[in-house]
Amino acid sequence: MNRNDLLVTVLVILQLVSTNYLWGLDAASSVSQARFAIFLAIDLLSFAMIAYIYRKAEWREQTYRIWLLLGSFGLVLLLVSSLIFT
Amino acid sequence: MRKEDEIIARLVAWFDSRLGLSHPMLRPVPEYAVNPFYWLGALTVVAFVIQGVTGMLMMLYYVPSPIQAFQSTQYIFQQVYYGRFLESVHLYTAYAMIMLAFMHMMRGYFVSVHKKPREMMWIVGMVMGFVTLGFGFTGYLLPWTVVSKSATDVGIGMIDALPAQISWLLSFLVVGAGGDATELLRFYDLHVVVLPAVLLVLLTLKMYMLECHGISEPATGVVSQEKRRLIPIFPDVSLYLLELAAVFGSAMLLISVIFPLNLPPQYSPQLAAQFTPQPDWYFLWIYQILKISIFEGPGLSVALSLVTLLFILLFLLPFIDRSKKRRLIDRPIFVTLGLIFVAELIVLAYWGLITPGQIIPFEQAALVIGGTALIIAFVSFGAYWVLFSRIKRQTSSGPQAPTKFAALFSFGALATGGAFAIGNTMNTTVNIIVQGLDWWKALLLVSSIIMLAFVILASALLIYRIELPNGSLSRRIRFLEKMIHESK
Repeated sequence: MNRNDLLVTVLVILQLVSTNYLWGLDAASSVSQARFAIFLAIDLLSFAMIAYIYRKAEWREQTYRIWLLLGSFGLVLLLVSSLIFT
Repeated sequence: MRKEDEIIARLVAWFDSRLGLSHPMLRPVPEYAVNPFYWLGALTVVAFVIQGVTGMLMMLYYVPSPIQAFQSTQYIFQQVYYGRFLESVHLYTAYAMIMLAFMHMMRGYFVSVHKKPREMMWIVGMVMGFVTLGFGFTGYLLPWTVVSKSATDVGIGMIDALPAQISWLLSFLVVGAGGDATELLRFYDLHVVVLPAVLLVLLTLKMYMLECHGISEPATGVVSQEKRRLIPIFPDVSLYLLELAAVFGSAMLLISVIFPLNLPPQYSPQLAAQFTPQPDWYFLWIYQILKISIFEGPGLSVALSLVTLLFILLFLLPFIDRSKKRRLIDRPIFVTLGLIFVAELIVLAYWGLITPGQIIPFEQAALVIGGTALIIAFVSFGAYWVLFSRIKRQTSSGPQAPTKFAALFSFGALATGGAFAIGNTMNTTVNIIVQGLDWWKALLLVSSIIMLAFVILASALLIYRIELPNGSLSRRIRFLEKMIHESK
């Protein structure tokens, strides 16, 4: 398994966990609104990263490490935000 | 083929033959266009779609009447599931839509997309920009808060300063004759029916023209054969667009969490009397122009005429900038004018933000507006001279990279000078705003602006020199040089 495959696996797991968490939120609670937004953002960003890796593989091009690092940094930032803003 | 596979294949073929899925309407895209800057317009459309979805959800609860508008907005905030989140996303995506539309326009200006044969695309795009601003203007009133109603009233008040026929027509369109109730209802109708319909028609027209003329080439005018490779719109470019849209969406969600929207108090004439109205950020630059002392009272129509003239010039840009030159390097005057335009908008908007309701003396305004134009022109022409003169001269050797000591010393000197110049410029500007203008402060401001310009210019030169031996900048410049040499 190469680096990109590993990353896609982690991202898919993260998406599954995040989506499952979203469905379980109490929609009536005001705290849930921030959580909902953050975990939806995590889903979207993970999707963007998976699509990027898939597209580059389809085009037979190398993925740029900087974009993957920035994406991963964004995900970490969102996860940290979920602790701060909720 | 197995029987199940054959059934699926026949089903897919049936749908394909009816829906034309394998024959996408849109033409393939050259590889050089797989770049976010080429898709700012598409991102604006993504923002519009998010606006539509969140807006339709809010429409389920919103009541467009002066008595119930605020209460229904408050209800969405407090009672509706994820209501505050919806409101926040709707607002920040609206801001993003306006900003993206502006960036799309300015990018188009700098890379000359308005030139033959895309003149009409530019004009339609400008109308779409106006419609986008119309969304902002009409949507701002709907919560019926003291902030939104007061600011909108100022905007509506300006209509009276226009020529009688235009004033009557605009008043009829946006206000009607029934006071607050018809005003709110018309704003609501414009916001949710008229403007979206107009924008969709214009979007279709622009997409059609884009398909006719194709995507414009980069402003460098240098595209390798590899970068001209055509990529099908489906699934390749569509996937790229989805990536951009997903990143954009997650950014909007994060912003809505960090800065959740708070609802200001409900509008009432008594509360509005104690409140200094200020428009939203995208109209602040006009607001600041209108606060200049000479435009007070009867001068208002002059100010509005000037702003209208600016918009007319932007509309007619394809017929003003008629040169066939498209590359940045060949258009120093128009590039400098574009940079001045952007800088003036930012300076005026920020100035408007920090001086709500304050009348600006004409001398002060002239100094700030003129000084901004001067500094940008100075830096822009300087940058052209430093960065592009080498290409134009076709020198073989070019400047040498500085030694490590010289580079470190220059960096230290520039950092110190830059900090001093920025600090002094800000300090003097604040002093002028707070204490008024005198000759000493004017001299101090002009000298610190000149120093700042010098620091920016020298920093550009230093980066260029340090980067010269092995960096991407030098590679790009040498690539450009090579192409120019070959074209000669």
